[in-house]
Amino acid sequence: MRDLTKSKKANRGDRIFNRTITGAAFTSLILLAGITLFLGSKAIPVLQDQGLIFLTTTIWDTIGVPPEYGIAGMLYGSLLLAVIALVIAVPISLFLAVFMVFMAPPRVAKFLTNLVDLMAAIPSVIIGLWAFYVLVPPSLEWQQLLNQYLGWIPLFQNESGNFTGTPFIAGAVLAIMMIPIVTSITAEVLKRTPPELINAAESLGCSMFTMLRYVALPFGRGGIVGGIMLGLGRALGETIAVFFVLKLVFDINVYQIIESGGGSVATLIVSKFGETSGEAEVNVLLASGFFLFLMTLVVNAIANLIVARTDRLKT
Amino acid sequence: MTILLAESPPIREEDLAPQRPWSKRSASFWVAAFLGSIVPLAILGGLFILTELPAAVLLIAFYLPLQLIGAGLAGYSAKGKHGVADSSIIVFAIGATALSAIVLGSMLLTIIVRGIAAFRPSFIFQNNVYISPSTPLEYGGIGHAILGTFLIVGIATLISVPFGIATAVYVTEVRGRAVPYVRFFVQAMSGVPSVVAGLFVLTVFILTGVLNTSAMAAAIAYAILMLPTVARTAEEVLRLVPEDLRTGALALGSTRSRVVLNVVIPAARTGIITAILLGIARVVGETAPLLLTALKNDQTVLNPFSDPISALPTFIFDNVAQPFPDAVTRAWGAALALMIIVAILFTITRFLSARKPRG
Repeated sequence: MRDLTKSKKANRGDRIFNRTITGAAFTSLILLAGITLFLGSKAIPVLQDQGLIFLTTTIWDTIGVPPEYGIAGMLYGSLLLAVIALVIAVPISLFLAVFMVFMAPPRVAKFLTNLVDLMAAIPSVIIGLWAFYVLVPPSLEWQQLLNQYLGWIPLFQNESGNFTGTPFIAGAVLAIMMIPIVTSITAEVLKRTPPELINAAESLGCSMFTMLRYVALPFGRGGIVGGIMLGLGRALGETIAVFFVLKLVFDINVYQIIESGGGSVATLIVSKFGETSGEAEVNVLLASGFFLFLMTLVVNAIANLIVARTDRLKT
Repeated sequence: MTILLAESPPIREEDLAPQRPWSKRSASFWVAAFLGSIVPLAILGGLFILTELPAAVLLIAFYLPLQLIGAGLAGYSAKGKHGVADSSIIVFAIGATALSAIVLGSMLLTIIVRGIAAFRPSFIFQNNVYISPSTPLEYGGIGHAILGTFLIVGIATLISVPFGIATAVYVTEVRGRAVPYVRFFVQAMSGVPSVVAGLFVLTVFILTGVLNTSAMAAAIAYAILMLPTVARTAEEVLRLVPEDLRTGALALGSTRSRVVLNVVIPAARTGIITAILLGIARVVGETAPLLLTALKNDQTVLNPFSDPISALPTFIFDNVAQPFPDAVTRAWGAALALMIIVAILFTITRFLSARKPRG
């Protein structure tokens, strides 16, 4: 079949059809190249202007002569939020997936699949709205108690006594958005565990914990790691939900996750775009967007390679 | 051996599904499990009445460890050492499920309860001209934002669907040499943050003066975000079309392009509609690209090229965190409207994909 379409004798309509489709199939490549090229071309003058301090400092001085910009706090903040979200979301997602695949009665499992898919479908602006009015008020009290009883751990220090707009709460909101992604991919992978391996484990007298530890999780490891990385990519690029719950500050908040103020590149772009005063400042935001794009592209590429590799091993 | 295998009954789907051998329990286990869950619950109830700690802290800091101990003891009495690990998994799994259900339930409930307060005919049909955040709810509405969302999403669908389906057809029907690369780039596209898509349209079309900040610019940004979802879902459904249909049509003398256009795509019709709807659901609530490419407008705009335009997500964004309760109620009302659109899309896709594929 393939030879027929490739040969010179192929129908003329077919050849036109093939070329059109092949051309259209490369839209994604063209778009990716376009994003890299156009945003990159805006990032180069900014880097020439500011030098590497654009990536390594936390100055944000728009009225200085010359104005100075540094997004180190934002880049670090994005990573910190993503790590907090991972720490919260990954265990919950794994247990949810294990429950769905190995424990829940079929009807409950179906209900949970719908629940997780519906969670994934809720727009981020609505999650932000909900977080701002429903999650944040009680979370102030939780964070205060956390600080009161566990304040001796550096992670839970808070000197200002202000618990609003903390990285912890922004990370928790990101976790809510990550859980459906990680859960559905993990459940997908766990479902493919060969039943003969599970039955063999049972007949050897394994408990469920042993089966998970030595059969199901090792079998699905690649897919699970890939799913987690995809969730990480989503967390790095999330803008609006974080905008509502995080107090954006330019200084690097290294580890005090329940101290008010943190950073996020994506949120920086949206929150500063409305008040830009000239082309130079827009270019700075475009350059920030370029580095955000690179960051998510690398994370996603690694994730997809891991998933693709495990897929090939299985077939 | 081979003869034996050939004569054995055909393997059914149910036999291949993961088995749950450990779900068989003895009676003593149920007694232990009952005690192990009732005692921590009683302690939780006592703490809830006696202390003034918030419910979430009580649940996570007191109830979860107590329940783990209770379940661990129950597991130990029934199955010995292995029972402890098993029962902890059950506790954590049910805890994770309950947590997710509470979060989703709380979201849906708040949207409905607080959004319904804004709903009235004028809220759906009027636009937001002459309305300030402090204007009472009787005046003004989200009609312009609903139309804006439909306009932007509609144009985005028209742009992205042909490219998305062409990508899928390339992977499953044309099967050229570049298939692995095309798939890789589509995967990479699906990770592009929405704010970056907005920035891209801003640089290419708006800063260069090709387009105004308008529905068209926003639609291009939306189309970039829709493309990978449509392409990947369409690819999956085209794969489900039986190979016999293709070879049969070819044997009857069809050309390859006729096979794709008249046989494969009609056979996968339902699935392709699902792919389009999933793409729409992916973008309908995206806010960040709109803030960069469409801005906002209190008037009803129907020309996709002329003026800035509001959509539901930007309307919500503008009205959140206002110091006026009526503005906040409007935001919840718009959130309810957006959620209804998402729910309709979600239900239709569920309904369509539950049906058996044709052919």
